[in-house]
Amino acid sequence: MKPAAPLLVLLPALVLLPVLLLAPGQVHGGGWELIGTFLEAALQPSLDPLVLRSLLQGLGITAGMALLGWACSVVIGVSLGIASSRLVWRSLSGSELPADLLRRLLAIPRSIHELIWGLLLLQLVGLQPAVAVLAIAIPYGALVARVVSDLLDALPDQNLKALLLSGTAAPAALLTALGPPLLPGLISYGGYRLECALRSATLLGVFGLGGLGNELLLTLQSLEFRELWSGLWLLLAVMLALEAVIRRLRQRWGMPSRFGLGEGASGQRGRELLLALLALLPVLLLVAQALQVNPMALLDWQPLPPMDTQHWQAALALPWLPLVLNTLLLTLVAAALAVGGAPLLLLCVAPWPWGRQALKLLWALGRLWPPPLTALLLLFVFKPGVLTAAMALGFHNLGILGRLLLEGAEVSGEAIEQALLCGGCGARIALLYGRYSALARSYIAYGAYRTDVILRETVVVGLVAGTGLGSQLTESLSSFAFDQLLLLLGAYAVLTLLGEDLSDRARHRLLQQ
Amino acid sequence: MALKLPTKHTGRERWAAAAVGVSLALLPVATPLPLGSALAPAAVAQTNKPVLRIGAIPDQKPEKLNRLYGLVANELSKQLGVPVKYVPVTNYEAAVSAFRTGNLDLVWFGGLTGVQARLQKPGAKVLAQRDIDASFQSIFIANTRSGIAPGNSQKVLTQLRGKRFTFGSQSSTSGRLMPEYFLAQAGVKPSQFAGGAPGFSGSHDATIALVQSGAYDAGAVNEQVWKSSLHDGKANRAKVVAIWKTPGYPDYHWIAQPNLDQRFGAGFTTKVQRAILSWRPSNPEQKAILSLFGAQQFTGAKASDYSRIEQVGRQIGKIR
Repeated sequence: MKPAAPLLVLLPALVLLPVLLLAPGQVHGGGWELIGTFLEAALQPSLDPLVLRSLLQGLGITAGMALLGWACSVVIGVSLGIASSRLVWRSLSGSELPADLLRRLLAIPRSIHELIWGLLLLQLVGLQPAVAVLAIAIPYGALVARVVSDLLDALPDQNLKALLLSGTAAPAALLTALGPPLLPGLISYGGYRLECALRSATLLGVFGLGGLGNELLLTLQSLEFRELWSGLWLLLAVMLALEAVIRRLRQRWGMPSRFGLGEGASGQRGRELLLALLALLPVLLLVAQALQVNPMALLDWQPLPPMDTQHWQAALALPWLPLVLNTLLLTLVAAALAVGGAPLLLLCVAPWPWGRQALKLLWALGRLWPPPLTALLLLFVFKPGVLTAAMALGFHNLGILGRLLLEGAEVSGEAIEQALLCGGCGARIALLYGRYSALARSYIAYGAYRTDVILRETVVVGLVAGTGLGSQLTESLSSFAFDQLLLLLGAYAVLTLLGEDLSDRARHRLLQQ
Repeated sequence: MALKLPTKHTGRERWAAAAVGVSLALLPVATPLPLGSALAPAAVAQTNKPVLRIGAIPDQKPEKLNRLYGLVANELSKQLGVPVKYVPVTNYEAAVSAFRTGNLDLVWFGGLTGVQARLQKPGAKVLAQRDIDASFQSIFIANTRSGIAPGNSQKVLTQLRGKRFTFGSQSSTSGRLMPEYFLAQAGVKPSQFAGGAPGFSGSHDATIALVQSGAYDAGAVNEQVWKSSLHDGKANRAKVVAIWKTPGYPDYHWIAQPNLDQRFGAGFTTKVQRAILSWRPSNPEQKAILSLFGAQQFTGAKASDYSRIEQVGRQIGKIR
């Protein structure tokens, strides 16, 4: 019993049935006025020079941090990704065991949210701008490593086998056979990570420097919507500009050129890439200097806070089962809403040209609004609970997955869709069987990675009561209860490992089809 | 590898190889320079002229925080004759941790965060509080549609069982710690709220907005914010009302690192304390500071003033 590929993409959207059934019961509807104020403020953001100056300054800090964190995470991720690839180890030593071990180990840094990494690192090295860079680089590096190793392991290995059988040394054979086919995927994913890093840096705020995230969070908490919107518009402009630039670069470097690979075309791309990387280096150094990021300061360890060991009993007595179940429910509902919602919405608006533009705008808002903001807005209308939290996380991730889906649809299945359209199929059927069937597998794989991220993000919607491990984690942090914290982070790591195992199995089955 | 390639490619390859070579040669030149120059002035500044780094728990809108602590930094610098720098932090926990790791010298803490900071940094000194901090109060508020009736006795709180309830920030003294304590006194446990747990709105303003909208039936906020919300119309009396006012308890205070005298010279901690206590509304700059703090003046405070907060904190599990 295997569903057809295009339907696979829509399967998660089934979660909409229970959500739509339950949501009306959760409406209290007392806060439409506040939502109105919020939307009105969008049209008249604060133009106070003091506010704008501080926002611009914050934006600079945040963008710089995102760039540094991203660069570190790509370096860490690519090296660890190669080191945790089964294919690489099998070719080098004949055993896949080290790769499997490393992959499992990497689930631990990945399972902890950037915000929590920041606070943990703060305990160790004090208030340093470098902490923010590292807080992004560690979980992102581990995530990039997973994606890179998955990409490597999914590459066709005939070329590698041929080279190895003809007597080429393993390292050279690996580089020659896997390097070039890996590059497009790497460029595409690397670019996407930079967008993610900007969002993360925004949520994180920067220790000891402030940053746009700080400003947004504090204006949100004091409900200064006009000042909040000044920041949001700024962020939107930067976000869209960054996305456009990355898209252009990806098309230039990453996509197989469709018009005759003439003399020079392949070499030119490599040269440009190399030059861009070279140009990036001094930029990174300058940014690091401007933001006073000093890697040396990371070596200056502070004494750890006092740990008490008498409270283990109390920590173990936390209501673990409901905490874990709530977290799982929240993660799965949010993931299903995001993964299934994007293709479903796109399908719904397929016949109308303006529909896609409207969706793009909606998704940009989803990406732009940090989940705590969406959660607050939803609370103005819905009662607190897992469903409300799931909708907040789902909306944010819908924006991200929707964009990935549109991007994927650009490069695959155009011919089939055109053929179907010309054959007289409706716009929806053509989209469904033309585009979706070609990209179903890679989209579902991205969905699995995103589920990983959503699990981590459950810590940022603690504002909605009783959301499970996330609420408990922020509570334990504010009590400096390091024993509870350790157990909670352990629980996150176990859940991440289980999720990875499940999605690995699912992907293997899909690949074998 | 380049040698094996067909000749028509060698030009391009050479070009790329040259670029790599140049970049590798430039790398060591480029690296130490910015790093070195970034390190040097900091090191010099540390030995020559120590900077007093002040901080605060982030409980206001950023524009107000920047304005207020910018003014405080200027005023302290003028009175103490040392450079003063305001270092923003992202949340309450970060403020406490940054004080423990010695990255902040003088911090404006809340009641609970102040005690947490002192326990994590033995020897830290309580310098001053505002006139209003000796007896600070919280207000329990409720949505008018929730059917919760106001009253003068603590028994009012028993109506909150089974209702949706939100605190402010998790580390807030007036928005969480003391309200939870008074709830416990009235026999209401956090697990008895609808949904089995209270919400944490993150701030007093958010609590008022969420209770007013009806997302939560009731909540707890600090009196200062409640009054100003009523005053500027953010709180609508037709939708949200105060149901009970708590007795007074000590709250916000300035805390200094134990080693200020070693770093800035003998008697420096006392000098800082005297400077803060000397601020009066008669001086225009000091008046601006005091009005942003919502106070007439600062008064001396000592650690023992906050022993009640510590006791309550231990009882509730926020201090261990």
